Amino acid sequence: MAVLPRRIIKETQRLMQEPVPGISAVPDDSNARYFHVIVTGPEDSPFEGGLFKLELFLPEDYPMSAPKVRFITKIYHPNIDRLGRICLDILKDKWSPALQIRTVLLSIQALLSAPNPDDPLANDVAELWKVNEIEAIRNAKEWTRRYAMDN
Amino acid sequence: MSQQERVQEELEALEAILMDDISITYNAKGCAELVKSVIFPSTANEVDKQYVCVTLEVELPQDYPDCKPVTRLKSPRGLDESTVDHLYKEIANKCEEYIGHAVIYELIELIRQNLTESNLPTCQCAVCLYGFSEGDSFTKTQCFHYFHNYCLAKHVTVNEKNFLEEQDKLPAWKRSTVGFQATCPVCREPISCDGTKLKTSLPPKELQDAQKFEVTQELKMLQQKMQQLFNYQKSKGGIIDIEAEENKLLLITNSEDNNSEDPGPSLSSSNPPVEQQPLHNGLQNRNHNQRHYSKYSNR
Repeated sequence: MAVLPRRIIKETQRLMQEPVPGISAVPDDSNARYFHVIVTGPEDSPFEGGLFKLELFLPEDYPMSAPKVRFITKIYHPNIDRLGRICLDILKDKWSPALQIRTVLLSIQALLSAPNPDDPLANDVAELWKVNEIEAIRNAKEWTRRYAMDN
Repeated sequence: MSQQERVQEELEALEAILMDDISITYNAKGCAELVKSVIFPSTANEVDKQYVCVTLEVELPQDYPDCKPVTRLKSPRGLDESTVDHLYKEIANKCEEYIGHAVIYELIELIRQNLTESNLPTCQCAVCLYGFSEGDSFTKTQCFHYFHNYCLAKHVTVNEKNFLEEQDKLPAWKRSTVGFQATCPVCREPISCDGTKLKTSLPPKELQDAQKFEVTQELKMLQQKMQQLFNYQKSKGGIIDIEAEENKLLLITNSEDNNSEDPGPSLSSSNPPVEQQPLHNGLQNRNHNQRHYSKYSNR
């Protein structure tokens, strides 16, 4: 494997030394561009109490292009589809090299606090979120309880 | 002279000296409440040599100047936290010393002096996350953000390439008429920069001397914890099975001879799908996911 860019090393060290509350990101043993991530569900959101596993991959030209991030744990959210793909502008055309792993994960955590059913990725979830928010939130809580807990 | 008159006199003097560089907010009773000034290092009139700046806010309590004002440093540019902390300490000392006297001009001068002495950005380059060393060529944008020329060149090159590719996809009438505009990586403000000069810059010094990556014991422990959570959630059916999810969709579109009990992608599919494959170990799983990325990265 090519030499790991210094910036990735620096970000990794900082993630270890000054972790972001509610977020942990750990590089894989055999591929330092692949991160195992846990994001805790934000307080006062239907995802509260959940521990969501994500995977994050830094492509070859990172930080010039955005990291690839995906939920591994099932989650009921209008902007996250059944494959765990996330609809978030900074992961696409709004990416900037001044963003980092930690800021990306914070944005994803913020997306859990503020679902946006008007810009959906998971159409059926977004639809329910718009017509019956109470039921959608109940579903999100149920999925969190069922799938995203630690033992 | 009354307290209010003393304050008024101090502020009039400030306005006379600093003119547009100061703004004063008054409350409903006409008493001055807040004084604000953006402070730059003294570099004669060479504005492009001012690499740092900070905004000083001074809140005037009713009893000022017989008590200390409340001071805040806002929007520090090119200054790291320890420099700002140091400034706060000096400000506190100065305020203590000047109780009973006009202090605002003294504070502005104190900060200006500090900025002049360390007129080299002490922050990091937001692109490579390393600092600026003597001899590094770097750019200060109009919006007061700092980048090694080497790093900014990479950003501008990629942005321009993406822009041109996007334009190519558009019909002629929809294409931009103004052409490519470079933007600041930090605040997305438009910036002007000399592309050719940037591209010939050498990589920053600190970047070349940076240490190598090592897997520490702590890291190993965290990796284990992650794996435990993964296994637990997997046993509860909480892990997304990409192949099963994709096959679900396939079955729906060609489901003529396949009327099995597949639930389809409906909301009620909150039951965990039955695990049909042997448990992946971490690595297989990862390869699988990376393949997945390459498949979807062009979306």
